[in-house]
Amino acid sequence: MPDYSDLRPHDRPDVRVPVPPVELDAELRARLRECSACILGVGGLGSNIAAMLLRSGLLTMTLVDFDRVDPGNLNRQLFFRDQIGMLKTEALAATLMRIDPDVSLTLVSETLTADNVVRIAQGADVIIEAVDRADTKAMIINTVLRDLPDTPLVTASGLAGYGSANAIVTERFAERLFVVGDLTSDVREGHPLFASRVMVAAAHQAHAVIRLLLGFPDP
Amino acid sequence: MHVDVALFAHLAAFQPDGKGGRAPRSFELPDGTTIAEVIETLGLPDQPRVVFVNGRHAEEDAALHDGDRLAIFPPVAGG
Repeated sequence: MPDYSDLRPHDRPDVRVPVPPVELDAELRARLRECSACILGVGGLGSNIAAMLLRSGLLTMTLVDFDRVDPGNLNRQLFFRDQIGMLKTEALAATLMRIDPDVSLTLVSETLTADNVVRIAQGADVIIEAVDRADTKAMIINTVLRDLPDTPLVTASGLAGYGSANAIVTERFAERLFVVGDLTSDVREGHPLFASRVMVAAAHQAHAVIRLLLGFPDP
Repeated sequence: MHVDVALFAHLAAFQPDGKGGRAPRSFELPDGTTIAEVIETLGLPDQPRVVFVNGRHAEEDAALHDGDRLAIFPPVAGG
């Protein structure tokens, strides 16, 4: 685990701590190779986050999703027409294996509840919230912050619609909580999920994870 | 006691001054006031939310203390 002892206080956004010296691409990827991530939800956010993390060198992931691939997912999620009907965890695992056969995956095809989040996510170096429902997001954030307080959590809120991609940012809300999104754009009638904006948020989350695991305390 | 209260996203509209924004507002509250009582006083909707005190997660039945910084964040759907 990276050393978080020098994290800046949440109430001092003006203070920047020195970044650790990191020079070599190989060294960076070697660090990521030793880390693990638990991705809660592998839909629009999670499927794309997993691919980005794998391409960045992070080889150990737990993929969690109860759902199966639906035709309506193909407009933004990393699945293919011939995978319709498959469990999302298994379909994504097949794709990730094609990207890098050295990937090490744990697949959990369960509905997330307050009773199983800790069992599923404990042990990961970082937890990524990538579900769609607001109540599930709140449950995950509340449960992880309460029961796994030492594990960083990267969550997303506000990525629907056709608003500017520049409104999506990564913020640090608490010592171990990083929030990606514009905070307000929820999914509703006339406010759908576009692949471009979802992937902007997914890229923010993936990059926040990479920075955290490399020891950079600021998003 | 004095407590700073920051409301994020659409909850900012529930700040008593009606000006919105996430900047914290200072409240004068009776000693022992709980987070749940602040939520009720502000009239926040019964929607999913996450509560922090001084940058750390807090339960809504917890009592606040003088100088605390309360922040409430409502996640929205989409993923």
